[in-house]
Amino acid sequence: MITLDTISKRFGSITAVDGLSLAIEPGEVFGLLGPNGAGKSTTIAMTVGLLSPDSGSVRIDGGDPADAAVRASLGVAPQSLAIYDEMTARENLVFFGSIYGLDGATRTRRADELLELVGLTDRARDRVKGFSGGMKRRVNLACALVHDPRVVLLDEPTAGVDPQSRHAIFEIVRELQDQGRTIVYTTHYMEEAQKLCSRVGVIDKGNLLALDSVDGLICAHGGESVVRIERAAGEERVQTAEPLAVLQRALASESTTGVRVDRPDLETVFLNLTGRSLRD
Amino acid sequence: MREIWALATKDLRLLVRDKGGLFFTFFFPILYAVFFGTIFASMSGGGGSGTKIIIVDEDRTEASASFVASLEAESQFIVTPMEDRVAAQEIVRKGGQTAFIVIPEGFGEASIFQGEPMELVLGVDPSKAAEAGLIQGLVTAKAYERLQDLFLDPDIARDMAQDSIASLEESDLNPAQKLIFKTFLSSLDTFLVQAPEAGVFGGDDESEAEGDGGPAFNPVSIQSVELVGDEGPSPYAIAFPQGIIWGIMGCAAGFGISLVTERNRGTLTRLRTAPMGRSRVLLGKGLACFLTTVGVSTVLLVLLTAVFGVTPSSVPLLLVAVLSVAVCFVGIMMLLSTLGRTEAAAGGIGWAAMIVMAMLGGGMMPLAFMKGWMITLSHLSPVKWSILAMEGAIWRDFGPADMLLPCVVLMTVGIAGFVLGSKMFDWTEH
Repeated sequence: MITLDTISKRFGSITAVDGLSLAIEPGEVFGLLGPNGAGKSTTIAMTVGLLSPDSGSVRIDGGDPADAAVRASLGVAPQSLAIYDEMTARENLVFFGSIYGLDGATRTRRADELLELVGLTDRARDRVKGFSGGMKRRVNLACALVHDPRVVLLDEPTAGVDPQSRHAIFEIVRELQDQGRTIVYTTHYMEEAQKLCSRVGVIDKGNLLALDSVDGLICAHGGESVVRIERAAGEERVQTAEPLAVLQRALASESTTGVRVDRPDLETVFLNLTGRSLRD
Repeated sequence: MREIWALATKDLRLLVRDKGGLFFTFFFPILYAVFFGTIFASMSGGGGSGTKIIIVDEDRTEASASFVASLEAESQFIVTPMEDRVAAQEIVRKGGQTAFIVIPEGFGEASIFQGEPMELVLGVDPSKAAEAGLIQGLVTAKAYERLQDLFLDPDIARDMAQDSIASLEESDLNPAQKLIFKTFLSSLDTFLVQAPEAGVFGGDDESEAEGDGGPAFNPVSIQSVELVGDEGPSPYAIAFPQGIIWGIMGCAAGFGISLVTERNRGTLTRLRTAPMGRSRVLLGKGLACFLTTVGVSTVLLVLLTAVFGVTPSSVPLLLVAVLSVAVCFVGIMMLLSTLGRTEAAAGGIGWAAMIVMAMLGGGMMPLAFMKGWMITLSHLSPVKWSILAMEGAIWRDFGPADMLLPCVVLMTVGIAGFVLGSKMFDWTEH
């Protein structure tokens, strides 16, 4: 279990994280959703022991991430492409395996497994500098998994990738989830959080604004659904907490030529919580 | 230790794949050392060309021809005879030759005891001021050799003395002065008759062997003492330590920049999340820098020995010197890597610091050309101590006691730099 207990971090006059508390269960895919600059990366940095909180505490299965033994159970894919361009995909994996203390045979085996997982087996011996952004992202992710960590922290893992690589990364995350790993996934793309995460924490300006399952957040903060009813005379827009009933009535009417239901999503949740869009 | 070794081999692999870095680390120092070694060789007469001078002999006497021959025999000159003084002056003015020397009419007639002295006209290319002193000194030395030859030949010297006695009567001197000079010249004439018979001028091997050869009119006897070996150091032995230091400075700057690159690219973040302390990350970088500097030194020293035939005076002390220099520049690398937030800033600050150290420490210009206060300031430059330690083990015949000071200075700078750099690294990371 990952526990963040009222952690705060300031950089000069800027408060990056302000009294944030979380508890992430083992095997859970937890999304940390917020716009750029919300404090997601700082939270991740404190979670993996890169930064010490000014106040509060972080515990990973009861241990302090400042302790090297605790960090050995963590795999981190930073937001930046933290791989060596002049080395091949395989060399990157083998190198990061070696700094986690894996022996030669294990490093080689894990490198092969992970290249297979991220779909880069045929490019294993190519230098990373020739890869597309999406391929580099996949290598970046694979390097976080080389030591077979129980907890994986993915900081904006789809930033700047093409749709094909994004889909591939989604599949990898689902596979990691099936393997029972705990995953912390930060993103400012609400559709990613909706697709992948069992629970989502909405964060803005260093504060945790809401924490629940996707449906729970939408229910609590998304507001009413909008049913759009198209008729010959024009479109009617009905905002309602009972979209099914409105839909049934519309379909019973002979003048209805079409209907569409717009359910609230995490974007709406964020808008309602902060008055701003996620992309602002 | 395995993690530190993995970090170091990763950096070495990256260095090998960076062709630009590899050039400045290994090949540039070789070019530097060979280039300056060749220049030093030519300056010291080791098969290189001498200073080009023109000689215009307007006197055309046996004496002037002898003087020209003595200049032609001087290994530091390449002499071109010409007829026309104006044409010679034009060639030097346009940079075609370094200097011209005119031997005017009357050179051969000049006497030691009367009349005008021997006259020579010397013109030197203004852009070659450093060579002007050398030329003037050598020409003066040749002129004095001629005077000495004249005086040591009793027949010529007597002719000059008798000519001077004859001309005294027509001179403007008062009777008392004439008497004094006449007495002196007559005594000299008598001396020049009797001295050869008594073997005063030497030249008689038997009497010299007996130790009664008398004074030989040599004003100064200079005895050369070889300080380092019989033939002095090879020019390449002098140039290679500087080349090695340039290679090592390239290493230190390169690894310093690579640490900033790792920080900015995020690979440092990933390394720091691994289950090893920050100190191991830095030690890995330091080990890579250390191995590279030792590698650069080894490559150049093997080249120095195998190609240029220079045998270090002490291989164990050379090893100590190389290791001390490597430790020193690992510390400097660590310190420099914390001074810039971006790669460009780190590169700029790093190379600026290196160049200042090289300038002060004699890595660019020999310390001999510097003013006194600059030489004092050079003690602050690790480059000075690095070159001294290398030279000490290669050709200065240093013993362990001589090597102690430079090596202690280098190790102290290295350890202090690493500790301070590590602290600053921690501070910048937080």
